[in-house]
Amino acid sequence: MRYRVRHLTEYLYGAPVTLCYNMAHLLPRDTRNQRCLSRRILVNPTPVYQTEGQDYYGNPTFYFSVQEPHKRLAIDVECYFEIEQNDLSSQLTLHGLTCGELRQLLAQASTPELRMVKEYTLDSTHIHRAEALAEYARACFADDTPVLQASMDFTHKIFAEFAFDPAATSVSTPPEQVLKEKRGVCQDFAHLAIACIRSLGFPARYMSGYLETLPPPGQEKLVGADASHAWFAIFIPDLGWVEFDPTNDLMPNEQHIVTAWGRDYADVTPLQGVIFDGGDSQALNVSVDVQRV
Amino acid sequence: MTDTVAPSITALSEAPFVAPYAAPNHAFDEAFEDNRQTRLPWQAVMTAVQQLGSEGMQDRHLRAQRILRDDGATYNLKSDPLSPNVWALDIIPQVMSESEWRGLEASLQQRAKLFDLIYKDLYGEQRLLKEGILPSEIVFSHPGFLRQCHNMHWPSETMLTFHAVDLVRDQTGRYIATGDRTQAPSGAGYALENRTVVSRVLPSLFRDSQTMRLSGFFQTVRETISRLASHITEAPRIVVLTPGAYSSTYFEQAYLANHLGYPLVQGGDLTVRNGKVWMKSLNGLSRVDVILRRVDDTLCDQAELRSESILGVPGLLEVARQGNVVVTNPLGSGLLETPALLAFLPAISQFLMGEELLLPSVDSYWCGNQEQLNYVLANIRNLIIKPAVRNLQSKSIYCHQLSDKELQRTIAKIKANPVAYVAQGYIPGSLTPIWDNGQMCARPGILRTFSVANEQGYCVMPGGLARVAESTNHLIVSKNLSGSRSKDLWILSDSAETDTDIPLDNLPISQAHVANLPSRVVENLFWFGRYAERAEMSLRLMRTIFKQLNGIDHFPTESREVLLGAMSEITGSLPGFQDDPELIENPNDELAALVANSQRVGSIKSNLQQMLACAEQVKEMLSADTRIILNELRDHIHSVDRAYVNGLPAVPEESLDGLVTSLLAISGLNHESMLRGMDWMFQEIGRRTERALLTANLLKHTLSRPLPSLQQQQILESVLLSVEALISFRRRYRTRARVSYGLDLLMIDRTNPRSLIYQIEQLRKYLEELPQTEQTSLGLSPDKRLIIKSLNDIQLADLEGLSQIDETTQTRQQLTELMTQVIEQLEKLTTLISDKYFDHTAGPQQLIKAKWKNNV
Repeated sequence: MRYRVRHLTEYLYGAPVTLCYNMAHLLPRDTRNQRCLSRRILVNPTPVYQTEGQDYYGNPTFYFSVQEPHKRLAIDVECYFEIEQNDLSSQLTLHGLTCGELRQLLAQASTPELRMVKEYTLDSTHIHRAEALAEYARACFADDTPVLQASMDFTHKIFAEFAFDPAATSVSTPPEQVLKEKRGVCQDFAHLAIACIRSLGFPARYMSGYLETLPPPGQEKLVGADASHAWFAIFIPDLGWVEFDPTNDLMPNEQHIVTAWGRDYADVTPLQGVIFDGGDSQALNVSVDVQRV
Repeated sequence: MTDTVAPSITALSEAPFVAPYAAPNHAFDEAFEDNRQTRLPWQAVMTAVQQLGSEGMQDRHLRAQRILRDDGATYNLKSDPLSPNVWALDIIPQVMSESEWRGLEASLQQRAKLFDLIYKDLYGEQRLLKEGILPSEIVFSHPGFLRQCHNMHWPSETMLTFHAVDLVRDQTGRYIATGDRTQAPSGAGYALENRTVVSRVLPSLFRDSQTMRLSGFFQTVRETISRLASHITEAPRIVVLTPGAYSSTYFEQAYLANHLGYPLVQGGDLTVRNGKVWMKSLNGLSRVDVILRRVDDTLCDQAELRSESILGVPGLLEVARQGNVVVTNPLGSGLLETPALLAFLPAISQFLMGEELLLPSVDSYWCGNQEQLNYVLANIRNLIIKPAVRNLQSKSIYCHQLSDKELQRTIAKIKANPVAYVAQGYIPGSLTPIWDNGQMCARPGILRTFSVANEQGYCVMPGGLARVAESTNHLIVSKNLSGSRSKDLWILSDSAETDTDIPLDNLPISQAHVANLPSRVVENLFWFGRYAERAEMSLRLMRTIFKQLNGIDHFPTESREVLLGAMSEITGSLPGFQDDPELIENPNDELAALVANSQRVGSIKSNLQQMLACAEQVKEMLSADTRIILNELRDHIHSVDRAYVNGLPAVPEESLDGLVTSLLAISGLNHESMLRGMDWMFQEIGRRTERALLTANLLKHTLSRPLPSLQQQQILESVLLSVEALISFRRRYRTRARVSYGLDLLMIDRTNPRSLIYQIEQLRKYLEELPQTEQTSLGLSPDKRLIIKSLNDIQLADLEGLSQIDETTQTRQQLTELMTQVIEQLEKLTTLISDKYFDHTAGPQQLIKAKWKNNV
């Protein structure tokens, strides 16, 4: 499948910003199944300094600095992708590595790969392991259950028990609170899933990207109605990182476009940085369009 | 032969010196053998101590204290500029023979090299983690592992420029490392200051002992730092980045910056533009190539690291990543200070260098490993528990001191998160002699050594910072530099050392920087001048008031009203005495508060405090003599505090004289000893502006009210007295106390350095010499316009007209109007100067972050 993604980010300030420094995670990365065919990024006002690079996790980064006074900062990203189908969902009933076996492999840590994935079993900025979180997932990840199946069951559990509610949380709501409230958005569900899985000792990481949305039957698709999306992946030796989307109760396939991954949102914040001046108020508008081409 | 004792000393010496204290149990004695005879390297020192005797030693001890105080050698300034903690130094040097030193030196060089390799591996290939040599959780769970610094550009082969090690001696006398400092090691500057002081108070001992010099080490520092930016420029611009005047080791940072010849800057003095780092200076922005940092890793860049930091330079990390500035020690090096590393160091050494580690570390156990955890839990009483992450809050737990309950709590904490804890064996530290309360006694001590990269590997300072516990009961020397006394470490050379030749050509040209001060420094000097003048003027008026109120002559109510009202006006503590007959009748409490209450903004004490705070901010700019005077000033402030402890003392002006003298000494010193650079200029501008403002205020509030002739004369004389012009006045006008005569002397007399016109003419001269930015409008700049206008206003004034009493208002209306106008113009001038030359950037704020809200 081929896609065109247009991602517009706009900041509006109460007073002119005289200087800003920003690190963006807005450019897409290549993955096993995904190839970026072309990409373009435009910043307005034109940055006096900009570089592209790669972060610790191999995600493309875009760093820029604007030195002229501005009350509006706009970042316009357009990318073309090609995504191949994966057959991971067919493994669901076939792959037999159990949670107990995975636990043991991790404890032995006999390969470089297993030693390095420990990074994803530890606490990170937004994720702190806790017994309550472990308890919530424990039944799904029983020792004799295959990990893949357990992850799918757990994904379904979150989908079934949590309500989608954009008003319930903020970017920094901790997973433990999300678990209590049983509501939130895709980012909260991804964080919650990761936090529960890590609390049980398994490696899980945060996936950031886009999702193609389809309009209700008979209606036209609205421009800008798509949005950035977040889900999670769990590490299974010989399969690698396997992705799950608890917001939609599925294993991502052709419709999920990956921009970055990391331990949690803090590693892949779309745009972070500081501004000088700009008054007390900031407004942020984001619009995303995902189109098949 | 080693350790020869100088003939002059041996000739005089009496019986061989034996230990004046008992042999320690389970610890090594630095100075004495088991039979209590002095160890060979220590003999010259002990002989010297013996010869000086108790009185001589006490005298040297006090002299050392005085030098330290005058040098401004402080530690942990906190935020009280009035009573800084003077750096604690014991004058008996700690000595080591060259042969012992050579062994230690080699093992320290190896260790520094190893830590450099560890840094490069963890921020590069990570073979240590992949191969399981170092458990990956230690690194991955450490907040000091800055993923942003992975694969950072570095110009030279060695990345870790500085490495310091804390050492103790075990019972057998073997040196053992207890910890490493890899981020921004402190102490080398204190070691240098210790050497300077001890060699000054024990000059002949130092001269005769063939002590190895420290200068070569600091020369290597300069050379290495200059080389770091060789890919950018031939003449690198280097700065020392400090967390600021209230950082505990600020003295050392300022001292080192001066010694090395680099400007000392704070985060706010630097800015990132066009992908490079610049210093904000009077002449605009000037490029910076190397930053020697004393700010912690995570606080260095608000854009990518901790956004709430107030010490960083937003955007710095990106510039460093691109190789357009070199930050050293490199960002992320704080990670290597984790005590967890020590448990794996021998294996790491084998893996990265194929070498056995020469310097053993204290037995260390990382609780994240099940076997090691079991050992720790079984032996916990004999261990010290340390958090795996070293930061300001982290505290070591000495388990042998814990109650059972506390021990259980500690165990529970470890079990809950074993990865986060490290246990270490406890080594008491060797006993070393110190001079305390008039006698020699012994304290347990530790040693910090310093290494700096050079072209071959590492150069170790032939000396170090030895520290001893504050009392014999304190078996533990604090890991911070506080709460302990320091000692100078002397390495006694086998051969007479010729002074290291310093190839002067290789020194960095230091520098256009002298003229190129950070704006913050200039601003502090400007305010230093203003506060000094404010304090002085209020002091003078206060003394006059005391004299008049307690004088022999009757001082009628009107006179009191005017003079006390003017005091409230000058100190800016309104309404104060104005229109408060009761307070004017009983002014003592208010006057005492205006002198000694530091909480009252505008009081004499608060002005002095502000002035000293400005001085602390620019410590590195002050001359040695200025520091001595400031110390005297601090002493005088303390005597005022004592005199005013119960309100106004019987002779209230007595304790104020010292303050005035010190303030005069400072301004005298400025005139006689300071180069007429921009630092001097701004201090002068501050002083002149303030004096002009206060003089205009004083004239306005004392002379505009018409008074009966006796009162008028009293007031005029009081004003003249307070500005030291009464004698000149009497000489010139005899006893004719007319207001217009007073105005002649105080307003328009060019030869009176306290007249209004004198200040304004000086200001006009200084403004001509300030660097000018490009003019946007034609003609005179607004600041010059203002000063010329003020000058004309005063020159054109008709003194008789000013003294006229206006029929309707019953005041000297013209005088009031003129002074009000001059004050307004001067205040506008200070705003213009401040806008033009000082930095006004408010701190950065964080961008808000998007929340994903997709639902399908």
